[in-house]
Amino acid sequence: MHRRNFIKSSVLASTACMVPAFLSHTQPGRNLWGSRSGKVLVVIQLSGGNDGLNTVIPYEDAAYYQLRPTLGIAKNEVLKISELIGLHPALAPLEKLYREGGVSIVNNVGYPNPDRSHFRSMDIWHTASDSSAYWNTGWLGRYLDHECAGKPAYHALEVDDGLSLALKGEHRSGFAMSSAQRIQRAARQGFLQAIDQAPSTEDHKVAYLYKTLRETRQSAEYLYQQSKVHKSSVAYPDSKFATDLRQIAELMTADTDTRIYYVSLGGFDTHAGQLNRQARLLKEYAEGVAAFAEDLQRNRLWEDTLVMTFSEFGRRARQNAGGGTDHGTANNVFLMGGQLRQTGLYNPGPDLSRLQDDDLMFDIDFRRIYATVLDRWLEADAAQILQGRFELLGCV
Amino acid sequence: MENAQKIQHLYARAGFGLSPTEWNRRREQSLNEALQDLFSKPNDVRELPVPALVISETTANNNGVQQKERQLVAAIGIDWLNRMAAPLEDALLERMCLFWHGHFACDIRIGLPAGQYLNTLRRHALGNFRDLVTAIAREPAMIRYLNNQQNRKERPNENFARELMELFTIGRGHYSEQDVKEAARAFTGWSSDRTGQFIFRRLLHDFDSKIFMGRTGYFDGDDVIHILLEQKQTARFICQKIYRYFVNEQPDEQRVEAMTEVFFADYDIARLMRFVLESDWFYEDRHIGSKIKSPVELTAGILRQLGVRHCNPAALIGIHRAMGQVLFHPPNVAGWPGGKSWIDNSTLMMRLQLGAAFCMASDFDLALKTELDEQDRRFVRRLEAETDFAPLADLCRQVPEKEYFDVLSSFLLLPDVSRHRSTVEAYVPAGAPQERIRQLTARLMSLPEYQMC
Repeated sequence: MHRRNFIKSSVLASTACMVPAFLSHTQPGRNLWGSRSGKVLVVIQLSGGNDGLNTVIPYEDAAYYQLRPTLGIAKNEVLKISELIGLHPALAPLEKLYREGGVSIVNNVGYPNPDRSHFRSMDIWHTASDSSAYWNTGWLGRYLDHECAGKPAYHALEVDDGLSLALKGEHRSGFAMSSAQRIQRAARQGFLQAIDQAPSTEDHKVAYLYKTLRETRQSAEYLYQQSKVHKSSVAYPDSKFATDLRQIAELMTADTDTRIYYVSLGGFDTHAGQLNRQARLLKEYAEGVAAFAEDLQRNRLWEDTLVMTFSEFGRRARQNAGGGTDHGTANNVFLMGGQLRQTGLYNPGPDLSRLQDDDLMFDIDFRRIYATVLDRWLEADAAQILQGRFELLGCV
Repeated sequence: MENAQKIQHLYARAGFGLSPTEWNRRREQSLNEALQDLFSKPNDVRELPVPALVISETTANNNGVQQKERQLVAAIGIDWLNRMAAPLEDALLERMCLFWHGHFACDIRIGLPAGQYLNTLRRHALGNFRDLVTAIAREPAMIRYLNNQQNRKERPNENFARELMELFTIGRGHYSEQDVKEAARAFTGWSSDRTGQFIFRRLLHDFDSKIFMGRTGYFDGDDVIHILLEQKQTARFICQKIYRYFVNEQPDEQRVEAMTEVFFADYDIARLMRFVLESDWFYEDRHIGSKIKSPVELTAGILRQLGVRHCNPAALIGIHRAMGQVLFHPPNVAGWPGGKSWIDNSTLMMRLQLGAAFCMASDFDLALKTELDEQDRRFVRRLEAETDFAPLADLCRQVPEKEYFDVLSSFLLLPDVSRHRSTVEAYVPAGAPQERIRQLTARLMSLPEYQMC
């Protein structure tokens, strides 16, 4: 297609999807009943490898305290959620949500031949490849490729300066911004606007860059307008992560035409001094998510929301000599939302009598969770996107 | 196409573009002369200094030591980048090294093996592919990256053997799982010692007979490589990659077959590159300006065109990270995927502003620039770039001011950008010639076309 035609069609496409948004801007009362435009997926990435065994704790298992003589969380400190399992005390802000049936915990999630490198294992989680294959597109990027033709660039939005591999497709990618105001400022520069509006060229080689530039400018403007529609009335804690979540909640409440949000919280690589560090991070996580859920509940959006939290790997079951844990394998995945089919513990916690080189064994391939999210929540063709069939879980 | 444009295309693809001074000289050359120059120093590989090992088995878990090693790796990367940018260096050699770094992709976090690995690439980048592969198979950085130190007779680790076939030589679909297993056995005991040197651990090597690609023998790693290179598919696989990297992302079977014939004869890399760069088809219109520069190409080109004498290495590495390409840290063993995958909304905005940031960095009155917000100003200041606009001014010396646009755009960019003339000129305030040249350069580097080579 020539660039001229291309631009014509992309202008039409983007105008069509921008109109309702700008209308909503002038009708503040419209959001009273929240979005009815569809379900929203929020992915939370805990970077560095969160220690799952100290997040979801088998407090009745003597082996746990043998493996973790100083790191083990005492039975009387954990937040008990079953006869055998308790949560890390720093997750207390999520307790209410858990009791209300807003949380499903999938234990022992991993993949065959686990890789203990942060980069490689994160790649595997992002692309959904086997551990021996190298893919260049992310699982959500391929969702955009296969299911989202004609959708705006911000259909999937990462709250960050850079875009994660998970959101990169072959033909389409997600949109990255750390703050709507900042990106709008950058995209509004007169010069960029002027060259974008210059007479078009027949040179198709550079068309992709102009298309991305145009989408960036339009998306930045749209998201900036959307970010001003609604200001949250919920008190979020003072952290970068909570601020990111508030931005997402505000965009959702403004009925923004974005279906996937992606956000990260880093620092979980606790080789040393784990106790304080993990407690601080889990508190930041739990407080942020609790405020986010409350915000969405107030705006009646929680029913339309599925939050998935993952980390690139769990940590070694046996603690190391430095009061920390080294890179491990299987981990838990948290699913949260107002429409979970099965809540609480989805499956039993790790079997500590069945370790391999001090590492946990996985029961559930992480791609089964992806398949479930794609099929049940996003109503997409999971087998095509994941390039393989994975048995669905019953919790979504 | 004009001769000058061909030379520009040649140096954009086989080097990192031209400095203003080079452009002034080369545009008068014949294509043959330019090609002669390009191939004139293939034997002078000027190895980079290799730092001493800081890390040891006892300090391997020490954060401070790891940090120190990472800084050494970063410093080698910056040294290398400066060579890519320097007109006095061997442009083709540096370009080939970058290509091979993406091909034999290896993530390295320790200074000494990083330096050794890069010097191995330099020694063989334009030599013989057979020597290159056999040297890479003995490279401690690669051995560690692909776990060959764990490849032992009783418990073979297939990682290196598999990637050797899938990514380094013959390509997926041309070997069986059994071949992977047998090749892994042939590489058992190929390891590195605690001083970071290659060592053949005889006791861990499997000396028994192997059946590899239909042949039976007491093969070792070199034999496996030899058998792989006997397959024409290996020559074809490398030629496909060279074509996609140097000519066009869209493969062209006919051209690749012609290249394969040349390469398969003796695996001489320089001969293959001569064949490609001397072909008429290399200069076809559809290839000119059709490739998106990689982040490293983009910065090396800016440094060269602006004659940047100094800039803050930490800032450069931060920029590369934000744009998705840090030397010695490819995303995985398949290397950087390239092409459109470089581009998303955040990387594009960064790219469009990068050249201008370097141009502005030589401006001492940044605080007066109202169009820059505090964040941009910090970014520009952090670059600490010292640029030299005198050679650019020289290009414009004999020319009336209204032709500056033509002179500078034909030097800086391969695609035609005349449709942007009025916009660009409108954004360049009136002023002294040298200042206009700087502003014009900044704006021209902000055009999406500048991302193409």
